[in-house]
Amino acid sequence: MPDSISISNDGRHDAERWTGRVLRIGVWVSASFMVTGLLIGAMYPSTIVAFCSNPTLGNLMMRMISGSFDPVTLMFAGLVFLMFTPILRVITAIVGFGMERDWRFVFVSSVVLLLLVSEIVYSIFIKG
Amino acid sequence: MPIISSISLLFGGFVAGVFGALLGLGGGVLLIPFLVMVLGVPMHQAIATSIIAVIATSSAGATMNLERRTVHIRLGMLLEIATVTGAILGGITANYLSASVLAKLFSILLFLVALVMIWRVRQHTGQELIYTGGVLPGSFYDDANRKIVQYTVKNVPAALLVSLIAGNVSGLLGVGGGIFKVPAMHILSGIPMKAATATSNFMIGVTAAASAFIYFAHGHLNPFIATIAALGVLAGSMMGVRMNRRIHGHVLTWIFSLTLLGISIQLYLR
Repeated sequence: MPDSISISNDGRHDAERWTGRVLRIGVWVSASFMVTGLLIGAMYPSTIVAFCSNPTLGNLMMRMISGSFDPVTLMFAGLVFLMFTPILRVITAIVGFGMERDWRFVFVSSVVLLLLVSEIVYSIFIKG
Repeated sequence: MPIISSISLLFGGFVAGVFGALLGLGGGVLLIPFLVMVLGVPMHQAIATSIIAVIATSSAGATMNLERRTVHIRLGMLLEIATVTGAILGGITANYLSASVLAKLFSILLFLVALVMIWRVRQHTGQELIYTGGVLPGSFYDDANRKIVQYTVKNVPAALLVSLIAGNVSGLLGVGGGIFKVPAMHILSGIPMKAATATSNFMIGVTAAASAFIYFAHGHLNPFIATIAALGVLAGSMMGVRMNRRIHGHVLTWIFSLTLLGISIQLYLR
């Protein structure tokens, strides 16, 4: 493949490179949590405790901090980490655009981030 | 969850992932009917599961597309303002609709997806519509033609409007929405097909995340179902991407479109 492939939109590609790294890490970390939860649950079914069927982000984090790594918590943690991966993707894009001094797209990406944060706040609010 | 159902779910997710990647869909179009009609999963849970699968496939696929530099990340971010807004509204609306209404809406969506797929096969001429007099210049290396393709974006307001609708459908019914966004980006905005597909794939993960937390907060995310399906879809989509180059796309699209038409009628009449 020729070297000229390294050109990208406007010849700038910091945002693309960093965003790609974040995505790869996000997928692997969340898949690791999910697979570990499934394997522990399959090997030791007695460890599947009936955590609540409808946890909040807060009580999920509290269980992780307190070291309650039962299968259901691990699976939820993997799913929630996966849900946060696209948000990390947007944050990385903001940083990448900032490094490229493309302030217009720092603003555009910040609007997307603000919408996503509003959604999370709304979700926490409706959960009570 | 019984072991037989777990294996069926993993296999169903895998098949949805393979066909999703082969046909440029997120996987949810097949996964939701499978969950509802075969495994008897409630509609809201099926949508929440599909949203997780869309995030997984988008994240995995976007990594590869970013390395190939086919994603127009600036255009993607701009259109995400519309898709995320649409998805949040769709996610909120879905939780006020009954399962039967959602199932009917989903069956109508399947019908439209099948028609769009047939239309795309019939319209395909192999000619790229590239526009160079617009905004947001982009470029990528085209492996097939061994050349750098340079393009610009035209008609951004129209692309924003289609993105808003696609985002709303995504949040409401748990699909990626790429089936509508990709043709719109290509035809209305003059973006080369490869860049439009890669940019749409990059966007659908963020769009899906915009409604995922709402479904989570409403308690529709079953950890067992979502985990097994997400892993199956992820493995299937990776396999599908590898198979993509060896399979005759037109025949597959015809078979798949007719199957979707059948499923949509069956789901509507349920």
